[in-house]
Amino acid sequence: MMKISLTLNGKPVTVDVEPRTSLADLLRSPGCGCTSIHLGCEHGVCGACTILIDGRIARSCIALAVACDGAEVTTLEGLGEDELTTQLKDAFHCNHGLQCGFCTPGMLISAREVVARNPQLSEEELRTAMSGNICRCTGYTGIVAAVSAVAASRASSCTSES
Amino acid sequence: MAQSNLALSAQPGAQAYADAGDDAARFGPRGIGARLLRNEDARFLAGHGEYLADLNLYGTMEVAFFRSPIAHGRIRSIEIPEEVRSRVFLLSDLGDVRPVRAVLNAPGFRGSDFPPLADGVVRFVGEPIAMCIAPTRAEAEDIAQQIFVDFEELPVVTDMLKAADGSAPSIHDGWPDNVCFVSTPGNGDMAQAERAAVVTIERDLHMHRQCVVSLEGRGVLAHHDRRLDELVVYSSTQQPHIIRTVLAPLIGVEENKLRVVAPDVGGGFGVKNNLQAEEIAIAALARIVDHPVRWIEDRREHLTASPQAREHHYRMKLHADAQGRILGLESEVIVDAGAYSIWPWSCAMEANMSAGIMPGPYRMDAYRGRGITVMSNKPPLGPYRGVGRPGACFALERMMDELARAVGREPHEVRIDNMVLPGQMPFLTIAGKLYDSGDFPESVRRAAEMVDVPGVRAQQKDNGKDGLYIGLGWASYTEQTAHGTNEWLSRNLTEVFGYEAATARFTPDGKLILEVAIQNHGQGLETTLAQVAATELGVDPADVVVRHGDTAVSPYGLGTFASRSMVMAGGAVGRAAQMLAEKVKRIGAHFLQTTADKVTLEDGAVVHGPRRVPLSEVARAAFRHAQDLPPGEEPGLSVTTTFQPESGTGAFSYATHAVVVCVDANTGLVKILDYVIVHDCGTIVNPMIVDGQIQGGLAQGIGNALLEESPYDETGQPLASTFLDYLLPGFTEVPSARISHIVSPSPFTRYGIKGMGEGGAIGAPAAIVNAVNDALHGLGVEINETPVTPRRILKAIERAAKGDRP
Repeated sequence: MMKISLTLNGKPVTVDVEPRTSLADLLRSPGCGCTSIHLGCEHGVCGACTILIDGRIARSCIALAVACDGAEVTTLEGLGEDELTTQLKDAFHCNHGLQCGFCTPGMLISAREVVARNPQLSEEELRTAMSGNICRCTGYTGIVAAVSAVAASRASSCTSES
Repeated sequence: MAQSNLALSAQPGAQAYADAGDDAARFGPRGIGARLLRNEDARFLAGHGEYLADLNLYGTMEVAFFRSPIAHGRIRSIEIPEEVRSRVFLLSDLGDVRPVRAVLNAPGFRGSDFPPLADGVVRFVGEPIAMCIAPTRAEAEDIAQQIFVDFEELPVVTDMLKAADGSAPSIHDGWPDNVCFVSTPGNGDMAQAERAAVVTIERDLHMHRQCVVSLEGRGVLAHHDRRLDELVVYSSTQQPHIIRTVLAPLIGVEENKLRVVAPDVGGGFGVKNNLQAEEIAIAALARIVDHPVRWIEDRREHLTASPQAREHHYRMKLHADAQGRILGLESEVIVDAGAYSIWPWSCAMEANMSAGIMPGPYRMDAYRGRGITVMSNKPPLGPYRGVGRPGACFALERMMDELARAVGREPHEVRIDNMVLPGQMPFLTIAGKLYDSGDFPESVRRAAEMVDVPGVRAQQKDNGKDGLYIGLGWASYTEQTAHGTNEWLSRNLTEVFGYEAATARFTPDGKLILEVAIQNHGQGLETTLAQVAATELGVDPADVVVRHGDTAVSPYGLGTFASRSMVMAGGAVGRAAQMLAEKVKRIGAHFLQTTADKVTLEDGAVVHGPRRVPLSEVARAAFRHAQDLPPGEEPGLSVTTTFQPESGTGAFSYATHAVVVCVDANTGLVKILDYVIVHDCGTIVNPMIVDGQIQGGLAQGIGNALLEESPYDETGQPLASTFLDYLLPGFTEVPSARISHIVSPSPFTRYGIKGMGEGGAIGAPAAIVNAVNDALHGLGVEINETPVTPRRILKAIERAAKGDRP
């Protein structure tokens, strides 16, 4: 067991973990309770476990908890007040961007980073940027429409500000 | 565009539904037909979906299965270190547990037992042998690694053609070979068709084995509830009531002492639509330990040990006249059903369904089908979106394109000429299916317009430039949905899933709860069932609570599969709500000093002219102040009822897919340039959700056509066990289809609704492979298998260049 400290959704957390424990398993455990993290493959392909580590998207299933000692970790639970996440949630709702909901938290977090990085991306660029997340239900149409809508609204506000 | 194709009105009111004006006028502004956003979205968007792995029961021990590393062998001995022996459970440790025996009530069907844990013999890699329990999955896997099994290896069967011709050793004791069942649907004079034929097309085709891949794997959690003295089994399942019924006797529990709960389910698509060996094992274990136990399927288990799909081999022969008019069709489908028969469908479901639906939307005078189910040392085959039909559609629609080529006509024109006509509905097919309504040729005509056939043909003049080849592919199909009592009986199934049940009840504050036996895992039923209730009761659907997936909260029903829930549960909710509405109207009319026939239900109130009584007042009287009820009226506001369609033969949706692809002959990559779907599912309950289902099905069809394959080597070892070697369609592989609707309400169902969950997946493999063939035909290439991977395309081009025909 190793003792690590991290900031989880803005709150300090200190826990004992086995060196082999993944960050996803730690965060999903009852002590942390972040069950928005979903495990779809546990080998870093499907993106359902996507979270933010030090502000950048990462796959919590292939991150070792001990490697995140001192990190600032944010899950969907910690983005309740985040304006961009709220816009994306509304857009997913309005564009039927989810069906069973299992991929949704990871999709939202990836989409947040994609839109924040470059709101003026084309549909093809958006699809490529989002391609690290798999959805088995929607066929992506609703997700693309949702992320595009939020990107467009931000792009236009960028333009009007400049 | 609304369109009435009704040739008969089997159900009173069906004609009215079909002939009335727009949906808002017929069903209310927020009822059936409205594009409402989903009630269930909020919890998923908040990350509050509660899936099986999220349940948090005190003291839960996690289970790791020790699974067979070999495909076929007799267990000589199992060594378990003494220090972990108490945490390892073999079949013999579970007390009285019976194997599943999934059979058809059909002469000639060979039955076999599927034990929850190996009973001396293993028959596929991944078959469960032992359960190991520990506080965490990692520790449970540590225990599993200490188990040593000594096997006597037995001959392995992986080649379905050898299994079918009897040259492989039998894998089940007492069977002479590996053929489980042969069905022979058909009718008509084939000799006559052969004599009259000017053109006969013959092909062998193959759809390889694949996995289902719900993004959430399967999972089971079970514990004994001491207060109620009942066993509670949480399972990521599509059919909790049915699971309870069959599970109870297998583990020696009375059905009224067993509760099965499906929490939020992260995708099903059929793989959670079976009784699972793991369900039996975990439930049996929970009877003998004093804490909850849980198993969560990991991805490797899902790809190698859960029920798999497809793996069909077709031998097709199509007889036609010089214009391409079909005279007769001979079709043999061999299906590799894996090692065991899955309950309740039996291992023969795929082959039987494929052979039964084979004639598709076409008229023909003779059909001779053979559906052959064989066993092998691979995981058992189970239902997956489309069941049998993606293979049948692929085989027949490939033949239709080859037929068109042989007679020198455009493929879509040959299809139109052969289709059942709207004036012929209801139409009994040569394979005995009763098509209820629709305009099949119109779906092709409209798709041809949308995809611009002359435009694509003009583009193809540049084929070959830079090694790029454009092709246009077609597929038309019928999708049998909401199969009723007659259909299940005709399939000789031991269970008959011909109805669904619902309770509609108000709470004393005038709010509505619907309790249904289906399970909602992405289909939007928490919204669409509320829309049905809104149609009948004038309530706000956003305000309706839909409870499902739990044997303790609803009347008995059959579950969500076979595109049945909207028709069946929708029908049951509609009936229950209508009956409830009558009582609400009587009470409201009493308050308004008029009669029930003079009032309407609108916006949460009983309305009579300018006066209205809110439902909260009606509910208050019904539940709390019976003195305010009309004389003779019983207290309470709750109705439980069932629904079964007028005809038990199903409601048939249909569609035509047209796809334009570009094949890069340098790399073998296929890019989809345009995808058009003209679709008819009768009355549309929620257009947003319907289009979402079509597009989602299409994505899976694209996987089937281009990417997904679960190959096995000759020793029965799976060659795809991660998402790096089992490829799923992603954002960049799945274009957004252009979807157009025809609306031909079913005369057999309430509101004219047809099921529609699977069609997207049925048409895509055929349409895409046809498009690839259309693109590469000039090179002498013909490919008749799925998935058409870059490797297969390059190999076919290379072979054609050498002058070899496939």
